[in-house]
Amino acid sequence: MIDKARALQILETGLATSAADQTELVLMGEDFSLTRFAESTIHQNMYRSDSTLFVRAVRGKKIGVSSTGDLSPDAVRQAVAAAGAIADLMPEDPDFESLPQPISSETPSDAVCFVPATAASLPEQRAEAVKLIVGICAKQKLQTAGAFRVTTETVAVLNSLGVRQYNASTKAELSLTAVGEQQNSGWAIGYSRDISKIDAAGLAETAADKAIRSRDPIALESGAYTVILEPAAVGQLLLFLAFMGFGGKTLQQQRSFMAGKIGEKITGDNIAIIEDPFDPQLAGVPFDYEGVPRRKVVLIESGIARGVVTNSYYARLLDSESTGHALPPNNTYGPYPKHMAIAPGDKTLEEMIASTARGVYITHFWYVNFLNPMKTQVTGTTRDGTFLIENGKVTRAVRNMRLNQSILDAFANAEMISARRELYPQYSVVMLVPAMKINNFTLESTEG
Amino acid sequence: MIELLDRIDSVFRKFTKGKCQYADLRLQQVETERLATASRQAEPIEKSVSMGFAVRVLKDGAWGFTASSLFDDKEYERVTKLALAIAAASHKVMGREVQIDRWPAQTGSYRTPVQQDPFAISLPEKLGLLQHWEDLLHADAAITATSTFLDFRRETKFFRSLAGGDISQVLTHVGAGVTGGIVKSRRERYERSFPTASGQFVSGGYEKITIFKIEENIPKIIEQVVTMQTAADCPAKTCDIILSPDLASLQIHESIGHPLELDRVFGSERNFSGTSFATVDQLNKLKYASDVVSVFSDPTVAGGLATYQFDDEGVPAKRMPLIEKGVLVGYLSSLETAARIMLPSSAAARSDGWGNIPLVRMTNLVLEPGNKKFADMIAEIEDGMYIEGVESWSIDDNRDNFTLGGEIGWEIKNGQLGGMIKSPTYSGNTVQFWNSCDATGHPDEWTLWGTPNCGKGEPGQNARTAQGAAYVRFRQIKVGA
Repeated sequence: MIDKARALQILETGLATSAADQTELVLMGEDFSLTRFAESTIHQNMYRSDSTLFVRAVRGKKIGVSSTGDLSPDAVRQAVAAAGAIADLMPEDPDFESLPQPISSETPSDAVCFVPATAASLPEQRAEAVKLIVGICAKQKLQTAGAFRVTTETVAVLNSLGVRQYNASTKAELSLTAVGEQQNSGWAIGYSRDISKIDAAGLAETAADKAIRSRDPIALESGAYTVILEPAAVGQLLLFLAFMGFGGKTLQQQRSFMAGKIGEKITGDNIAIIEDPFDPQLAGVPFDYEGVPRRKVVLIESGIARGVVTNSYYARLLDSESTGHALPPNNTYGPYPKHMAIAPGDKTLEEMIASTARGVYITHFWYVNFLNPMKTQVTGTTRDGTFLIENGKVTRAVRNMRLNQSILDAFANAEMISARRELYPQYSVVMLVPAMKINNFTLESTEG
Repeated sequence: MIELLDRIDSVFRKFTKGKCQYADLRLQQVETERLATASRQAEPIEKSVSMGFAVRVLKDGAWGFTASSLFDDKEYERVTKLALAIAAASHKVMGREVQIDRWPAQTGSYRTPVQQDPFAISLPEKLGLLQHWEDLLHADAAITATSTFLDFRRETKFFRSLAGGDISQVLTHVGAGVTGGIVKSRRERYERSFPTASGQFVSGGYEKITIFKIEENIPKIIEQVVTMQTAADCPAKTCDIILSPDLASLQIHESIGHPLELDRVFGSERNFSGTSFATVDQLNKLKYASDVVSVFSDPTVAGGLATYQFDDEGVPAKRMPLIEKGVLVGYLSSLETAARIMLPSSAAARSDGWGNIPLVRMTNLVLEPGNKKFADMIAEIEDGMYIEGVESWSIDDNRDNFTLGGEIGWEIKNGQLGGMIKSPTYSGNTVQFWNSCDATGHPDEWTLWGTPNCGKGEPGQNARTAQGAAYVRFRQIKVGA
């Protein structure tokens, strides 16, 4: 892990060599450890240390970006020079005004997102957790597959206008699948900044229970069903909703389902979605890749579209202020939320099930993909624990089904939301999500 | 880089020799450059260099892997010792020891044939080409949203092993594409891309960009996107379909390539990207497809994104059959997975850059061309649909059930192409679908399509693959959502 003094020293040294009008340097470091297991055997086990320096050079309204993994003084100087040379060649961007000025604000301390015990954890700890999981599942004659990953990340941002930021963060994530002899399966996932909060035994028991109950699945007809989605399934829909419209670039370019809808009702009254890096469970890095402090952003409130996240560039185009959601300088995707929370309801999963005459209980989805982004229409399949609910009880396993569904329509039909929420990580985004009972959810019978 | 490799190698050997069954070392540098425009505005140029080394050890039948981008003697020692410690941790949970009969001891070098180094062409010249394409796209005032890109990648890699392997390779890839669109309102958009939605990618130099014929095809896609505004929605019905070569490439990738990755078949990806219906007990038995379908893995074919001479375990590349006349006859494999079914590795162990473990990945998959030209295929259809381009894809975790979408389609009535159809989709079950294939296209219409973004692994590794196909016809397929 690159410490604060070393990181800022590398960046200051680079800045001193820049001849650009404005210069930004971003240093990202990663220590990544992973233990993967399958067939109840550890089959991949690794550690990787990597770092990347991005340089953004500005000459007038021309911008150049370069990156390097070599942090030697010569390489840093070359990267700075390369960014300047690229800027010279670029056409002017008439919409560019400036890199961000320093902004002082109250932000969470590093301790919120950095847990020393996580950073110091060893491969033996991961192996012991896997051994525990394999043992629990073996008692039920189940094999296991999964991944236990531990990451320490550092990010430092410095620009010629005075921005100086540094943060170190940790995260631990364990997901596993218990697999039976009839290809029956169950899945569970745990995530925390603190590795000691990963409950390997609890996750193994959850996955094993689902695998056992997944035997002898029946096929259901295609149709509109009442579904109960576990938090991970809700999170998978939320993530695609974010892809399709919670970023300032998609809004400004009219590619977002939020375009023209701000202030209008787009989901049910009971849906509130907040980008909340300050939630202690989400524990976000307190600034973005431009060094701008992150802000809490209400995306949907009582079903009404309220706003999107921005970086400095798109904030200006949208006549607002940056919410601190810039991605790294080489990214052309635009600003993006990374710590979304859906407001809780007041139900339990048991109450949801008990209130359902006939429905489908879904653990999570697989291969969700866009069909029509403007209508938030996606497809994908259910996986690793899909069950029939009859007369208020989970009765038997159901063969995987294909969803073909508008996410906004689903969130308009959410009848119940759980009080309990869980953390669900995917693609460098962490979400705090409840379970939901949703009516009129389109599921198709599959031919697999 | 050779001096650096020798220095790391000396430390690597000092700490691994006699302490494990096997060990290998990779040193890799990846250079990339991407230029793009969006509606005439140049996007930031992405130019990057990444270099690092990786140590893989097999100790007491268990793997350990470490990688680092820090180059000094202390790091070489730390990383090598840590690889051994990780292998020892792996040994704590072992249902099965890794067994390899013999480790390859190949020496050699390979370099993608390149006439014009894409990194040596000036940025103004490359930006000028994109601007030219933008001008052509905006030749019709109806076009309101456009994008263009050029993408270059050069991977320089060295491999050494305790078994005697000593290999160097330099792989160069180029890619390009354009998209023209009409945005009529927030809810109404029409887009056409060329050569396909994510562009075409091949191995070779800058000279390859001209063979894509982008400039020549821009007027056609403009005309099509204008017509799309009045095109019919995709009907929901069962009919015969013809897939364009680029869409056939995606179909091969998703429903033949991924299911035949042998690590996946054994369950290595069970927790993330899933498993496969094509289990090893079905080798030489499963009628995967109709008699007209034969598919090979071939890293030796020229111009593919997976064209190389050695994989990342030092195994020499070779052409290997996967499906012969419809029957499953082989898998994509690594040394470890192939040994489990007592077959030679298909040289398909590949890693994403220097920092990842080699996994079984798709190579260049070749769907053998047949003898039917596109026009002949259409002439033999009474009621059907021709689907072109790549729009959307989703397949279940067992690789059985899929829904794929094209960018554009045309109805086929009584042997002739009819009206345009927008956003066509089709779905099916992999084995049933491929068994309904009754014609594979003519060699003159065959193309090797590059896929620069194949995802696999947990966390995800990106692989560059290719799938070769001409037009392909399938009978009685469900179309429409």
